[in-house]
Amino acid sequence: MGLGMLASRVIRPTASKLSRSSSLHFIRPIVSTPETSSAQSQPQPDPTPDPPPPSPRPPVAGARVHFPKPEDAIEVFVDGYSVKVPKGMTVLQACEIAGVDIPRFCYHSRLSIAGNCRMCLVEVEKTPKPVASCAMPALPGMKIKTDTPLAKKAREGVMEFLLMNHPLDCPICDQGGECDLQDQSMAFGSDRGRFTEVKRAVVDKNLGPLVKTVMTRCIQCTRCVRFATEVAGVQDLGMLGRGSGEEIGTYVEKLMTSELSGNVIDICPVGALTSKPFAFKARNWELKGTESIDVTDAVGSNIRIDSRGPEVLRILPRLNEDINEEWISDKTRFCYDGLKRQRLNDPMIRGADGRFKTVSWRDALAVVAEVALQVKPEEIVGIAGQLSDAESMMALKDFLNRMGSNNVWCEGNGPNPDADLRSGYIMNSGIAGLEKADVFLLVGTQPRVEAAMVNARIRKTVRANQAKVGYIGPATDLNYDHQHLGTGPKTLIELAEGRHPFCSALANAKNPAIIVGAGLFEREDKDAIFSVVETIAKNAKVVRPDWNGFNVLLLKAAQAAALDLGLVPESANSIESAKFVYLMGADDVNMEKVPSDAFVVYQGHHGDQSVYRANIILPAAAFSEKEGIYENTEGCSQQTLPAVPTVGDARDDWKIIRALSEVAGVSLPYDSLGAIRARIRTVAPNLLNMDERELATFSASLKPDCSHKMSLTDFRPAIDNFYMTDSITRASKIMAQCSATLLKK
Amino acid sequence: MASTVAKYVLQSIKEKGLRGFYRELKDEGFLKCLSDGNLLQTKIHNLKGNLVGIDKFGNKYYENRNLQSGRHRWVEYAEKGRYNASQVPAEWHGWLHVITDRTGDELLMLKPKRYGLEHKENFSGEGEELIYHSKGHALNKGQRDWTRYQPWEPTKP
Repeated sequence: MGLGMLASRVIRPTASKLSRSSSLHFIRPIVSTPETSSAQSQPQPDPTPDPPPPSPRPPVAGARVHFPKPEDAIEVFVDGYSVKVPKGMTVLQACEIAGVDIPRFCYHSRLSIAGNCRMCLVEVEKTPKPVASCAMPALPGMKIKTDTPLAKKAREGVMEFLLMNHPLDCPICDQGGECDLQDQSMAFGSDRGRFTEVKRAVVDKNLGPLVKTVMTRCIQCTRCVRFATEVAGVQDLGMLGRGSGEEIGTYVEKLMTSELSGNVIDICPVGALTSKPFAFKARNWELKGTESIDVTDAVGSNIRIDSRGPEVLRILPRLNEDINEEWISDKTRFCYDGLKRQRLNDPMIRGADGRFKTVSWRDALAVVAEVALQVKPEEIVGIAGQLSDAESMMALKDFLNRMGSNNVWCEGNGPNPDADLRSGYIMNSGIAGLEKADVFLLVGTQPRVEAAMVNARIRKTVRANQAKVGYIGPATDLNYDHQHLGTGPKTLIELAEGRHPFCSALANAKNPAIIVGAGLFEREDKDAIFSVVETIAKNAKVVRPDWNGFNVLLLKAAQAAALDLGLVPESANSIESAKFVYLMGADDVNMEKVPSDAFVVYQGHHGDQSVYRANIILPAAAFSEKEGIYENTEGCSQQTLPAVPTVGDARDDWKIIRALSEVAGVSLPYDSLGAIRARIRTVAPNLLNMDERELATFSASLKPDCSHKMSLTDFRPAIDNFYMTDSITRASKIMAQCSATLLKK
Repeated sequence: MASTVAKYVLQSIKEKGLRGFYRELKDEGFLKCLSDGNLLQTKIHNLKGNLVGIDKFGNKYYENRNLQSGRHRWVEYAEKGRYNASQVPAEWHGWLHVITDRTGDELLMLKPKRYGLEHKENFSGEGEELIYHSKGHALNKGQRDWTRYQPWEPTKP
């Protein structure tokens, strides 16, 4: 909440009170805040016996009221205005709907209620004491007063106690400028304190390479403790001691090994938990925020890229209830320093001596076009990388098709991807839809490392509905109760034939959800596995008109869009006979398969793995530097926006391919982003419906029967290292530190 | 006073001849006194002061304890035309500004290691080439790396 908003909130009630009291006494009092006793001794007469008017203020932060049952609505009065809320809501939530922002520290809408900061005290008629509004359920006819002298005095008193032990180090505190304590002490605090004793000091805790702690600043709101136990699912943090000796910590010296640990930085209302890599780098008011999309996994978390000049300085989550709520994974949050290292900034050609030489764009494109025109069309292969946007993949496919080749695919989709049925590669129930499920079957996927935000959703469902989770795959540590059913296809066959004890759980489930990992795409017997999973789905009635629980959890940001655009190779082993390989940011391709006489073009933004085999390097823009469409694993297309300029002489991906097509004499018919999107509209119109989830129309029942034989080799983990999965995170120093310290076995 | 001056002038002419006297008059800045009241006042002041020391640039430092405190130490710059306060070297600065009672010569005898750089006066307004500019200044092209990213270096062949 902004300081200005708070300030206006404070000023307004005072002004209205002044005018009211002056009309009563006909004398304007000189004091700006009337004395508590005098205001209490003269209760306001209620001149209107009619039903009071509805609240004139809009709800705080666009809070919406959803009535599950209309008869459960109750009416409460906030500052004399009537507001209708569902039964079971707290007083604080009722006030928010009435448009009154109650100051709070410990209350967080996504965490359990603690009620220990006491900042949200309000006055309720016919109660002897002010009540903590975050913990008090709203009752019918309750008359809540948020701007009375009693409430004001209570807030000032609480604030005085909080500031008693809070250090005065705002000038050197990284939270300065976005600190709840700073804002609320300005808006609701007293102008002086009465404590002259020394302040307490607390030893800082080491929570790992991501979260910096200055525990003296802590006000014991316990938001971080509740976040760690409830959302992140690690029982590491806790409260020690009593009274002024109370402190947050891990009971024994321990790092916080959660893939969501960065979120405690956001929820900490003071500067006790701040970002270690961002420490002392910038002030928040110097930063320019760009609303963008994360590409380090297939979830497509909504992020805000904060930059200053040409540097990305931090990444913060953006609220999106359907995808990431308000959390993001540590990989998303801290990968940004990879954007500044190992960057390709000039076109380079490998000379006869095997060394790279910087050349101009004109020369580089001329060489690429010359070689591409010399080889046979079927020897041309194009591979899109896992960070490619839809526009550049469209351009790559169009360019290769015009060259006469159709061997173009996106890495991670396996040797023979099936792009025919969209329901076969997206998450049909949606990420938010997973909350409705009551039984999960995870097949060859470890959501905790593959898509941390999906895992948080599953954990939320398990906590809320006691949903059962069955897991098939190598032993792993999921942070919720689950049954490890087996390690490979054998268990799948047992489940399909109904011989496994978990079958009864699936059959009895109201909304069963099956999540298949995209790591299985790489297997030769992928089609056979999918047909067995579809048999299980059919037996358990996973796909119904009102519920589609058949989900594929993708691994890479580009996968869904690539399959939507039809980036499917003509032959599975075209790479072995390739003479011209065009890698568009593809770093996970097995380069040993590429023949030694093949000409390899690497177009990308990081010197990662494939550049060492490349003959020509064309520098391109990273996701923070371009506008591009990405489709996430649930089929929701979103776009990134450029936050910082491109480095060196780099260009946008699709522009490079457009220029190359012209040099090669097969000009592509678009030369603006709008035109290339018009071309995408003819191929996959769903990609242009931004921020909307496009459901798959046909289900897997249309698929022809599979005749392949399933091999019985166990499933392998799709991701070895959560922190390093793509060229950006592999270049990042922070991610390297994380994998060194947090992944210790 | 006037007679003392006249006597001194006559004696000097007798010793050095008219041409030598004129050269001395010019070197000592007496000719500039005619247009520069500051210098004239310093010259008149000097008659009442004791010469305490001369630094390596030729600036002369005078003292008269009987004068009003704060006006009792002064300098006559060696440069008679464009003199300014930055011409006083570090070792004499403290004495002149009554930070210390040690003269510059006494301080130099302590062989200080702190005055590492040769004293340089402030050349503001004397031309761009004489003025210090920081590394990132537009005139110092290429001295500071403004790139905020680390490029990939093709080391392995």
